[in-house]
Amino acid sequence: MTLTKEIDSRVREIKKADILIGIPSYNNARTIGHVVRAVQAGLAKYFQGRKSVLVNSDGGSTDGTLEVVHSAAIDDFQSIMVTERSQSFFKIAAPYHGVPGKGSAFRTIFEIARALNVKACAVVDSDLRSITPEWVELLLKPILDGGFDYVAPLYQRHKYDGTITNSIVYPLTRALYGKRVRQPIGGDFGFSNKLARFFLTKDVWQTDVARFGIDIWMTTTAIANGFSMCQSFLGAKIHDPKDPGADLSAMLFQVLSTTFDLMETYRDVWSSVSGSEPVPTFGFVYDVGLEPVHVNLDRMIDQFRLGVKELAPLWQSVLSREALKTLRKASSMKNKEFHISEETWVEIVYSFAVASHWNVINREHLFRSLTSLYLGRTASFVIDTREASAPAVEEKIEALCGLFEEKKSLLLERWVNKP
Amino acid sequence: MRFLEKAITDPLEQFLDKVLSFLPNLLSFIVILLIGSVVAWVLKKICARLLRAINFDKICERTGTSGVLAKGGIVDSSSVLLSRLIAWIIMLVFVIIAFRALDVPVIAQFLDRLLLYIPQVLVAAFIVVVGYLMGIFFGRAALIASVNAGIRTAGLVGRFVKFTVFILACTMALEQLGIGKDTVLVAFAIVFGGVVLGFALAFGLGGSDAAKSFLEKRMRGEQDRDDISHL
Repeated sequence: MTLTKEIDSRVREIKKADILIGIPSYNNARTIGHVVRAVQAGLAKYFQGRKSVLVNSDGGSTDGTLEVVHSAAIDDFQSIMVTERSQSFFKIAAPYHGVPGKGSAFRTIFEIARALNVKACAVVDSDLRSITPEWVELLLKPILDGGFDYVAPLYQRHKYDGTITNSIVYPLTRALYGKRVRQPIGGDFGFSNKLARFFLTKDVWQTDVARFGIDIWMTTTAIANGFSMCQSFLGAKIHDPKDPGADLSAMLFQVLSTTFDLMETYRDVWSSVSGSEPVPTFGFVYDVGLEPVHVNLDRMIDQFRLGVKELAPLWQSVLSREALKTLRKASSMKNKEFHISEETWVEIVYSFAVASHWNVINREHLFRSLTSLYLGRTASFVIDTREASAPAVEEKIEALCGLFEEKKSLLLERWVNKP
Repeated sequence: MRFLEKAITDPLEQFLDKVLSFLPNLLSFIVILLIGSVVAWVLKKICARLLRAINFDKICERTGTSGVLAKGGIVDSSSVLLSRLIAWIIMLVFVIIAFRALDVPVIAQFLDRLLLYIPQVLVAAFIVVVGYLMGIFFGRAALIASVNAGIRTAGLVGRFVKFTVFILACTMALEQLGIGKDTVLVAFAIVFGGVVLGFALAFGLGGSDAAKSFLEKRMRGEQDRDDISHL
């Protein structure tokens, strides 16, 4: 892909830069102004004297997002304790080309980073309400001063927030590749020029990577190809409420299909890994008061029951008899006693990975059919941790990760020999 | 004497001449059938070996064809079935050639018509098989989407889509065979007209309360939805 004329001429104007911050967006006029100001403040405060570029890669917003990006600026630098205003801050805000999605927006950001030959890049979400100037420092310093290639975020999140991360992506990535990256699909990352160029060598931009799959793809690609990585504690992650119409099964499909595709690509890497190790962590860890999250447990359990009733024949070719029996038993439990154990959940996730590998049924049908099981497991998790504190919940997630690592040999066996 | 000759001997001689002239044709008929049987049997064996060599059964398993056949009660492997089909097609060709060798005008005419009809039968069979597979695929997609949308009658929706696609394919196959012209148009009109009317009646008469509560929920902004951010 080549850059659009508009972007290309702007890049030629700027010629070269030290730092690039990318912000993918789509109809985020309400929040992106704050993100742009936080980034500008962070660059002025922590990277004064460095030539910096802010790139807004937009998906064709119709709510004036681009105009907000162009007009947003820090008016009073003294209020952020910056006396000398940096003259080397540039903005590029333009729509990207390609498959609509975050991945295509990132591709444009990588291309600009390569064209400007920057030393370090970072990407941040455009719907963030909790971003501060310190995020810029925490995502870029490990690259510029620490020699790392990839910085993953570490957040303080509500115990019910990020459930796909907590119940599937984090435990699976950790068990497969042996690195304890707590937020592999966090959305805010830092990376070196070398890694941005490496991303661009991969031919994945017409796949689900171009959509929701980009985050897990970047993290896994960095780990599996031996790039040095760390994570930075950014504090709370509070973002604009998501569109209620956003399809959970589409999200699951895109994240899982990318994760399982990567398992095919990096089979030699993950099959030889056992256990896991922590990655270096930066930033001052502190507790944050988080707003309560409303959960409609009855609706989740109802949907799980409906799934078991209607989709059990489909799962017969995916799950073991014991697992199906356990699920049927769970669907007949009262809501208050509802429970799906960690062991059953690990068995389900690994069985779906194996079924995807052996093409047991159409992949889209397979991944989308996991939605009701995922909702059942999430409901069970919410019930189990209702009274638990944040550290206790974290311990529970760590225990789940331990189970994923413990049962990895079963996954490998079924990966090689068709069950 | 002349009467006897005219009444019995001449017809008998003519019959014998006809039988004698037909005998070589009959012999050709039998020989062609025998050769056809041998060729079909040999080709069946060769095809079966070739298909096994290229892992045809595994390919069918992956594409879901084996599963569909198993559902239809067919227990033989896909490679056996295909080699058997090829053998029968070859046998059919030899049967047609053999009948032509008999040189009987009525049979020749019938065979000509049959030969012209065979491609239509094959196309119709293909439409039915593809329709069946598409019915399963779209039925399952509709079932999963309905379950994920929390629709209580998800099973019914899935079955409805599956059978609608299959019935449509059968109708198209019948039209291909020249049975029931314009049935596709009529089937469309009946099926979709019926569905729309059914929904209108169900929603208007039986489901007025459900419609009210649905609209109220939408107006209230779905207050009972989750705040969970899954990613």
